[in-house]
Amino acid sequence: MTRERIPQAAGLALVLGFAIFPFVYTANDYPYIMHTLIACFFYAILASSWSMLSGYAGQFSFGHMGFTGVGAYTAALFSHYFYLSPVPTGFCTEFLIGGQYLVIVDAIGVTSSTLTQDCLRKALAVWDGSVQITPMPVWLGITLGTLMGGLFGLLIGLLVLPLRAAYLALFTLGFSEILRAALSAEISITRGQAGIELPYLFDAGITLFGRHFDKTDKLPPYFVMLFLLLFCLAIMLWLAKSKFGLFVRALREDQDAAAALGVNTTRYKILVFVLTSMMAAAAGAVMAHYIRIITPNNLMILQMSLVVAMAVIGGVENVVAAAIGAILINFALELLRNSFEIGPFTIDMTIWRLVVFGALLMVTLRFARNGLISPIIDYFTRGHVAKETVAKRVAGSETAEGPP
Amino acid sequence: MINLVVKNLTRRFGGLHALKGVSFEIDGPELIGLIGPNGAGKTTLTNVLDGAIKPNSGTVYLNGLRIDQLQPYEVARVGLGRTFQVTRSFRRMTVLENLYVPALALDRGHSRAEIEEKAMEVLEFLTLDHLRNEHARALSGGQQKLLELGRLLMLDPEVIILDEPFAGVHPQLMKVIYRYIERVNDAGTAIILISHQMDSIFTLCRRLLVLNYGDLIADGVPDEVKRDPAVIEAYLGVDDEETGAGQEGRAQP
Repeated sequence: MTRERIPQAAGLALVLGFAIFPFVYTANDYPYIMHTLIACFFYAILASSWSMLSGYAGQFSFGHMGFTGVGAYTAALFSHYFYLSPVPTGFCTEFLIGGQYLVIVDAIGVTSSTLTQDCLRKALAVWDGSVQITPMPVWLGITLGTLMGGLFGLLIGLLVLPLRAAYLALFTLGFSEILRAALSAEISITRGQAGIELPYLFDAGITLFGRHFDKTDKLPPYFVMLFLLLFCLAIMLWLAKSKFGLFVRALREDQDAAAALGVNTTRYKILVFVLTSMMAAAAGAVMAHYIRIITPNNLMILQMSLVVAMAVIGGVENVVAAAIGAILINFALELLRNSFEIGPFTIDMTIWRLVVFGALLMVTLRFARNGLISPIIDYFTRGHVAKETVAKRVAGSETAEGPP
Repeated sequence: MINLVVKNLTRRFGGLHALKGVSFEIDGPELIGLIGPNGAGKTTLTNVLDGAIKPNSGTVYLNGLRIDQLQPYEVARVGLGRTFQVTRSFRRMTVLENLYVPALALDRGHSRAEIEEKAMEVLEFLTLDHLRNEHARALSGGQQKLLELGRLLMLDPEVIILDEPFAGVHPQLMKVIYRYIERVNDAGTAIILISHQMDSIFTLCRRLLVLNYGDLIADGVPDEVKRDPAVIEAYLGVDDEETGAGQEGRAQP
């Protein structure tokens, strides 16, 4: 195996390891570890797509968690407000589509006394079990959430076209905070800080590998999130090697120079926003269906900072490094939750782990600007370049007559 | 046949008249020097020609196609390329990748292998081939200037504007860059050379345009321009009796 192939082989081994892990790990903390890994994959999607946006394309955005929220809330609102019914309710807004009624439940807020005013509940009470309504498919909600993320990405991409560096960061931070505030304020629709509940990813359970898994089993969402991560990484790696990757890196390096060399910078700037927003939104929608509740606090700046820090520690200019960084950091943060005692002192690691994390971030920024994982990958993929350059120069000086 | 027609270009920034009805024409692969003191409007003219700034009035036609309202990437694709006063290579991309950007942006249906072959030809021409896999940031200042020129060559441009290609370059390398410019020009590309290095301008260019406070005050062969009283007063200076070779290389803003 050539040296350049080692990172690919390691990546493949890692993927295989994650694929067989749920079948070989049998300890008592299985659900906890599986839950932690699902969260790891979720953060890996966010960190890697953010690294594509910020590390590759140079669009330093603080709006990524906002896009996650767009995906999650779209899926949540869709599953909460839309149903199919064979007969009209007579109470709700409804449209006849293909022999079924698309029922849109009225927005009625959060208090328990208002629940009875829910138009669908009224209809169900009248029907008294004689009519079965059908909730919307989860996959459709996730798809809509992903598309909505892309739409928001398009709008933000268009709005930030003239903005660069700190202005772009502040603008996207503003977007994320406005979205969070709006979701908190629109209590009648979103239930505000109380959050909105979602159905399970697989409400009726699912049969995989010849075995039926209950809706509460961790394995199906584990593989959904893992496949989503691998799908996103595959797209980003393919794009990174295509002219898209080349152009967005040129955009990062110097937008004016890229334009002067024929690159339609507007197009690629918007495209990278749309693409990465869709990935964040898809991850948000799947995660929301997994944890089954979404609140505006999921969009907090603290969450965004966590994603940025994960990508920076992994290596912001490499989507795989950012993903690995996110997995390692999230796992480490979970493992560091256990408090311990030193003599008479109790170290409360639930708080100190964040100090450790912050210190690691500062050390990385100071001493390893390319992160901790990215240089390792570079060592294998680009380690030969210096030697090659010297060899070529020596060979050139022996044979060439000098510059023309 | 290359034909660039610039007609009555005017550009204002608030109360400042950066360009005041500038007109000139380039017919064929000329090598033209564009000179003028700081603030004369050279960079503004470059930015208007490459589409980065839109003129308040006036037109620019390249081979019969109006380009003054096009975006910079469109201008580059129709055949007008430029470098920047301060070198703007893509520092965290390899030398080869720097060359791939314009070639792929042109989207002329060439395969990767063809593009790589052309890039290697350009790098060999510029004697940068041994650095092809290095990041551009590893290159010296002079090599980065060559890389910028190489990127332009990948565009197959009809007209090139070189903005201060000799700034900060060692005299030895400067002579190498001279030869590259001459070769590119001989190959059929029109070049507008902006420089404060009068030696280079008078050595290379067969026609000079002189800008002063947004006015094109002279357009002619170097010998005539050197003796033009308006040019001497505005730019070349009057401290020597002779305004010829004795004061070349001394630009006085």
